[in-house]
Amino acid sequence: MTDDIAYWFSYLTNGKHLTWYASFQFTIFAALMGGALAVVFGLLGATLKNSRFLPLRLIGTFYSSIVRGVPDVLFFLFFPLAFEQGVEWLVASQICTPEAIAAQTAAWPPCKEANWFLGTTEYLLLASVSLGLVYGAFATNVIHGALRSVPNGQLEAARAFGMSPGQVLWRIQIRQMWVYALPGLSNVWMLIVKATSLLSLLQIADIVLWADRLGAPNFLPAVGLVHEDWRWRYYLVLFVFYILVTWLSERAFEAIMRRAGKGILSEARV
Amino acid sequence: MQAFLNDLALMSQAVLFNIYFAAASIPIGFVLAVFLALGKASPNPIINRLTRGYIYAFRGSPLFIQFFMFYSLALSLNIAVWKPLGISGFVLHPLFMGPLVLVLNTAAYTGEIFYGALRAVPRGEVEAARAYGMSRSQQFRRVIWPNLIRLAWPAYTNEVVFLFHATAIVYFALPVVGAQADLMITAKTLFERDYNAFLHFSVAALYFLAVSLVVFFLFGLVYQRLMRHLPAPPRMRYRPKWMR
Repeated sequence: MTDDIAYWFSYLTNGKHLTWYASFQFTIFAALMGGALAVVFGLLGATLKNSRFLPLRLIGTFYSSIVRGVPDVLFFLFFPLAFEQGVEWLVASQICTPEAIAAQTAAWPPCKEANWFLGTTEYLLLASVSLGLVYGAFATNVIHGALRSVPNGQLEAARAFGMSPGQVLWRIQIRQMWVYALPGLSNVWMLIVKATSLLSLLQIADIVLWADRLGAPNFLPAVGLVHEDWRWRYYLVLFVFYILVTWLSERAFEAIMRRAGKGILSEARV
Repeated sequence: MQAFLNDLALMSQAVLFNIYFAAASIPIGFVLAVFLALGKASPNPIINRLTRGYIYAFRGSPLFIQFFMFYSLALSLNIAVWKPLGISGFVLHPLFMGPLVLVLNTAAYTGEIFYGALRAVPRGEVEAARAYGMSRSQQFRRVIWPNLIRLAWPAYTNEVVFLFHATAIVYFALPVVGAQADLMITAKTLFERDYNAFLHFSVAALYFLAVSLVVFFLFGLVYQRLMRHLPAPPRMRYRPKWMR
């Protein structure tokens, strides 16, 4: 019995497994960073959508409707690639000599010197930004709706006190809108958490990639424990992990909503 | 321009795979969702707990993981079950596996939508139906269901569009068989050939947008038909405000 436990313990704490456990940091970082950026982009988009100037309003509306009309995976893949190419194009226009361009045989980059190598850190940051951009479009809608549900009397009172439109927006409207935005933002957060499972598509060795590697059948005793295809067990662990994260987030948002709704008389506290 | 038209032509084949995945899973998911919603509302503790757990698990975890999990489960059962039955080529084929997982997933999301609508069905109407002496099945067919589907239809439209968007990740989790590639895989292979991210991904995005708009239009027509007993809503007016 104890032998068994020791045996499985040593299997579950071998180097590969430890790397797997460590790779959870990428997922957690991408979720938190993506969530924070989504709120920032959402605020920005909602401000644009509320703008008094038509072109800005159009930009806000265009952003929130187009990005939501396209699958998140597409944008998630496209943004980092496009950003990388944009930077390489910019660098190439500065440093590439005509000879270097003529010597280049591949389709991209224009010359070898302009090549930008992206490591895990860079991809992780780019992935967070694209998560923020995609779900910022959802957050734009949520925040736009929440800004409108702030009681008009509050804004009128602020104006009567002589606040400028910017002061009314930042000191009254945005301060008070969180209560109304929280239910919607919690949904956006759930979407972001689920989207973090896509990190492996950007060459990040995340939990999904490691689960695949660890579960792959092994027939060589020299490599480690000989076992058949165990991938579904590892994916089951991830399945449960994500359900637990969802459950925890639900509890956390409930607590936040209870706290934020204190002292506010409204049906926003459901 | 020529490259753009080329891409449009190439992807007109690819979009059919996305449409297939969505079209194959939506009807089955719909039927399953009705049962899930009824199960979640059922007073029987076993059925109630099971459906609740199912809906929670499938809504609380990423579709990407669900694909990997079910596909690898099917793979590990291959030698023991599918091979002897002689159906391994069928079961492990992405054109079967994809819709299967999509059905399981969309049934949970749609079930939650229907459950919400079921709880919003006006109490008085159900009581009136009972007072008329309708049986349980009559109550459901004549009172609960018509109310439910009208309440749920806008949210269900959104879910269908989301499901169509979700078909983009099918082939990232399942193997591509031969030339059967959907929009994302086609865009990715074309990108790897000439590194023109802006063109290929934009064309794929255009296709997704176009199909989403068609879905919104068709489901809007159905919604109009469902709501035909109500006075028509005011028509949209074109009244641009250049400066507020």
